[in-house]
Amino acid sequence: MKKILIVDDEESIRFLYTEELEEDGFSVEVAKNGEEALEKVSIFKPDLITLDIKMPGMDGIETLKRIRELDRKLPIIMCSAYGEYKQDLTTWASDAYIVKCADLTELKTTIRKLLGLL
Amino acid sequence: MSDHPDAYELLKKIIHLSTIPLPIKDKLDQMLQAINEAFGADQTLLLRQEKIVENGFLWRLALEKKPFWIEEESSLPQEKLHPKEKEFLRPPFACLPLFDKDTFQGTLYIGFPRNRTLSPQEMDLLVLVTKEMGEAIQLSHLQQKVGQTSSELTALHEMGKVATSTLKLEELLESIVKTGLKILRAKGGVLRVEDKTTKELKVQWSFGDYPQHPLDEKIAKRVLMTQTPFLLNHSGKDNPILSILCVPLRSKEGILGTLAFYDKETDPSKFDETDFQILLTMASQMSFAIENALTHYETSQLAWENEKRVRELTILWELSKALLTTVNFEHIIQMTLTAITIGAGLGFNRAMLFMVSEKSRSLEGTMAVGPDNAEEAGRIWTTLSKEKGILSDLIGNLHRSKDKNSALNAMVKGIQIPLELEDCILSKTVLEGRPFNIRFPHSEGAWNHTKCERGCHLSSEVGCHVGEHMSQDPKVYSFATVPLWGKGKVIGVILVDNLYNQNPITDEDIQILTMFSTQAGLAIENAILYRNLEEVHQRLKETQTFLVHQEKMAALGELSSTVAHEIRNPLVSIGGFARRLYRSIPDETPEKRYTQTIMIEVSRLERILSDLLDYTQKEPLTFGEVDLREILEESFSMVSKELNGGEVELTKEYSEGIPKVKGDHRQLIQVFSNLFNNAYEAMKGKGKFSLRVLPVAKNGSTFVRIEVEDTGSGIDPENLHNIFNPFYSTKESGLGLGLPLVYKIIASHQGQIEVDNRPGEGVTFIITLPAARKEEKK
Repeated sequence: MKKILIVDDEESIRFLYTEELEEDGFSVEVAKNGEEALEKVSIFKPDLITLDIKMPGMDGIETLKRIRELDRKLPIIMCSAYGEYKQDLTTWASDAYIVKCADLTELKTTIRKLLGLL
Repeated sequence: MSDHPDAYELLKKIIHLSTIPLPIKDKLDQMLQAINEAFGADQTLLLRQEKIVENGFLWRLALEKKPFWIEEESSLPQEKLHPKEKEFLRPPFACLPLFDKDTFQGTLYIGFPRNRTLSPQEMDLLVLVTKEMGEAIQLSHLQQKVGQTSSELTALHEMGKVATSTLKLEELLESIVKTGLKILRAKGGVLRVEDKTTKELKVQWSFGDYPQHPLDEKIAKRVLMTQTPFLLNHSGKDNPILSILCVPLRSKEGILGTLAFYDKETDPSKFDETDFQILLTMASQMSFAIENALTHYETSQLAWENEKRVRELTILWELSKALLTTVNFEHIIQMTLTAITIGAGLGFNRAMLFMVSEKSRSLEGTMAVGPDNAEEAGRIWTTLSKEKGILSDLIGNLHRSKDKNSALNAMVKGIQIPLELEDCILSKTVLEGRPFNIRFPHSEGAWNHTKCERGCHLSSEVGCHVGEHMSQDPKVYSFATVPLWGKGKVIGVILVDNLYNQNPITDEDIQILTMFSTQAGLAIENAILYRNLEEVHQRLKETQTFLVHQEKMAALGELSSTVAHEIRNPLVSIGGFARRLYRSIPDETPEKRYTQTIMIEVSRLERILSDLLDYTQKEPLTFGEVDLREILEESFSMVSKELNGGEVELTKEYSEGIPKVKGDHRQLIQVFSNLFNNAYEAMKGKGKFSLRVLPVAKNGSTFVRIEVEDTGSGIDPENLHNIFNPFYSTKESGLGLGLPLVYKIIASHQGQIEVDNRPGEGVTFIITLPAARKEEKK
C-alpha cells in the first residue's frame, strides 16, 4: 500500500484529502505545517507528498527545499489555492503543481501518474 | 449821262452803298461804278495801297495827302513815272488818296475823256466821295475785327466751358479735340500725350484717320521737340493733307503733348493766321486745364489708394480681432479660410489650407472653404451680401457653418503631397517660402506640357484635385498660393482661387493675402501649440488614470489573492465533501439534487475566483516564439471539451505562411479560450463559428491577424464601450473579467484588438499580433 503524506494547514482540506485518498486505497498521514512535515517524512517515509504552499511558519516552498535535501527523488505535488507560483515551481524541482479544486480528479490522476499506477 | 454829275444823287448813292450789308469788295465796286457813271469817266479804279508802286508817282502824290488833277500829258513828270504807271495813267485824270482815319488805304483814280475839265465843285464832290469810301473801308475793317474778336471770344468761351466742365482727364482730352474741331471747323484732330516714363508720344484722342498719315507723327514729334507751334499749308495735289495746325501743350513742369488739326471744312481748306492764333490761345488755356486734371487725377489716385489702404488695414484688423477670440485649432483655421473667402474680407472664391506635417515630410489637406459649384456660389453670395455687421463678428459667428461637410472640404482633406515633390506648386511654396500667382495655362500651347503624373492639366498635384473641371473644359484657371509662416518656419500653405467669378488675382490681392496669412499663421501656430499642450495634458490625465487604475488593480490583486486563498480552501472542502456525499446518496432522492446544487455552485465560485486571480496576478510573461496554430488548437480543445459541440458549425481557415509570434504561450491560450468560450456562449449551442488566421503587412512590418467570428446575438451597442472594463458583465455568471484579461494580455503583447459588432447577427473579434522578427529567428 502506497503511503501519502498530506501537508496543509487547513484542517478541512486534510480531512477531505484523507477521506478521499484512503477510500482510493492509499495509506495517508497528515502534517499541519512544514516542521511537522519534515518530521513525518523521516518517520512515515511516504511514497508521495502533497504540499500546500501557503502555510504559517515554514511555507511550502521552504519545506520543499528541506525535503529535497533529504530525498531528491520523492514525488512531491505542490498545491495552492492560487496559481502564481507555477513558473517558479518547475525550477524548484517539485514534480507537479495543482491548483486546489473541489473536484479532486486532477489531483488523483497526478498522484497515480507519479506513483506509476497508471 | 451828263458830263456834270448830280452831286446830290451821287452822294445819296454812295452813302446808301456804304450802309447796306454787302461785302466790302462789292460795296467798293458799286461805288466806283456809281462815280464812273456820275462823272461820265472812262475808268474809275481804286488802287489798293499794296498795288501802288513804292516811290512811284502815285506813291508820292499819296504822301501829299490831297487830290490832284492832271489835265495834260505834259504835266506828268515822265522821269518820275514807274513803267507800270506809264501803262495806265492817261490824262486827264484825277487821283485822290483814300484814308481810313490816318492809314493810307489806296488811291482813287478816275480817267476822263479828252478835253474834259473838272470844276472845283466837281473836285470837292470827289473829295467827299473819297472820304465816304474811306469810311466804308474803315467800317468794314471794324466789322471784320469785331467778327474775328467775337469768334475768338466764342472759341475761348467754348474752351473755358470744356476746361471747367470736367476734371476727368480722358473726358477733358476728348472735349478739347471735339471743341477744337468745332471752332476751327477742321476735318480731323489728334491729341497726343507724352508718357512720363517711356517718353513715348501716344495718341490719346483722335478724330479722322489722320494718325495713320506718315506726316502726322513726324510733325507731332517735331513740335514736341522744338516746343514751337507749326502751321503747314501743303500745296501738293497728291497729298491728302492740305493744311496742318500743330501746337505744343505745355504745363508748368514742361511739355505735356501736342494738339493738331487738319484741313478746314471750308473751301479753300487751308487754315489761316486767325485759326493759328485761336489754336494757340486755346492750347495755352487747355494746358492749364490738362494740368489741373492731371493733378486732380494724381490726387484722387492717391486718395483712392489711401482709402484702399485704410480699408485693407481695417479688414486685417477685424480679421485679426476675430482670430484672437479663440485658441481652438479647428475654429481658427475655419475663421481664417472664411475671412479669405467672405466678400467683406478678402473676397476670394475658394480657400484651401494645407498644413506641413513634419512627421511625414508632407503637406496634408486640412480644410477648405468655398462653394462646391457655381449655383451654390451664387446662393451664398446673395445671402452674404444681405448680412450686415462687424466683420470680426461675422467671421466669428460663421464657424458653425455647413462648410465642414462640403465636398470640397472632404476632397482637400484627402490630399497628401510629399514635400519632396518639388514640381508641385504647394511644395514649392513651402520650400521657397514665397507666394505664387499662377495663371494657367500661360499660353494655349502650354496645355500639352502641363500634365502631371496623374494626367491633369496643372503641372501640379493639386491640380488633379482643385482643377478637376479642367480636363473636361480647358480654360484659363488662376490660383495663388501663399506660405503660412509660424515662428521662423513655414507651417502650411493657403491656396486661393476665383473659380466661379473668374476675377483675376492681382499682385495687390496677393499682398494683402500675405499680410493676413502672417497674422493667421501666428494664430494657427498658437492654436497648434495649444492643441499639443492639450494633447499632452490629456495624455497625462490618461496616464494618471491608468496609473490609478493599475494601483487599484494591484491593491485588488493583493486583496483578492488573500481573500481567494481564504475562500478557496473552504470551497475545496465544501465542494469535496459535497462530491463525497453525492456519491453516497442513492439516485432519485431529493438529497442527491441538493448536494448536486452545492457542487455546481462551488464550481461557479471556483471559476470566478480563478478569473479574478488571473486578472489581478502580476504573472511574469515568458516570451518565446510561439506557433499560433498550435495555441489556437489547444485553446479550442479546452473549450470544445467543456461545451461538447452542440449544433455549432465550425470553420477554421489558416492561411499559408503564418509567421510565428513572440508571446507567452499560456497567456495566449487564456486569450483565445476566453474568446472561444464567449463565442460559444453567445450562440447558445447553435450557429456558425469561424476562425480565420492570416498574415498582414502594415507600415513595412508583418502582423498576424486572427478573426474570431460567431453568429450569436452580438453586443448591445450600449455596452460596447464597456466590454474591456473589468467587472462589467452582462452574463448571469462571471465577474466580467474575461475580455479585460484578453485586452490586458494582447496589450502586453503589443497587439491590437478590434470588435466588429453586428447586434443581433453576431460579433467578430479581430486580434492583430506582431510577427516575431526574422533576425530574432536566426
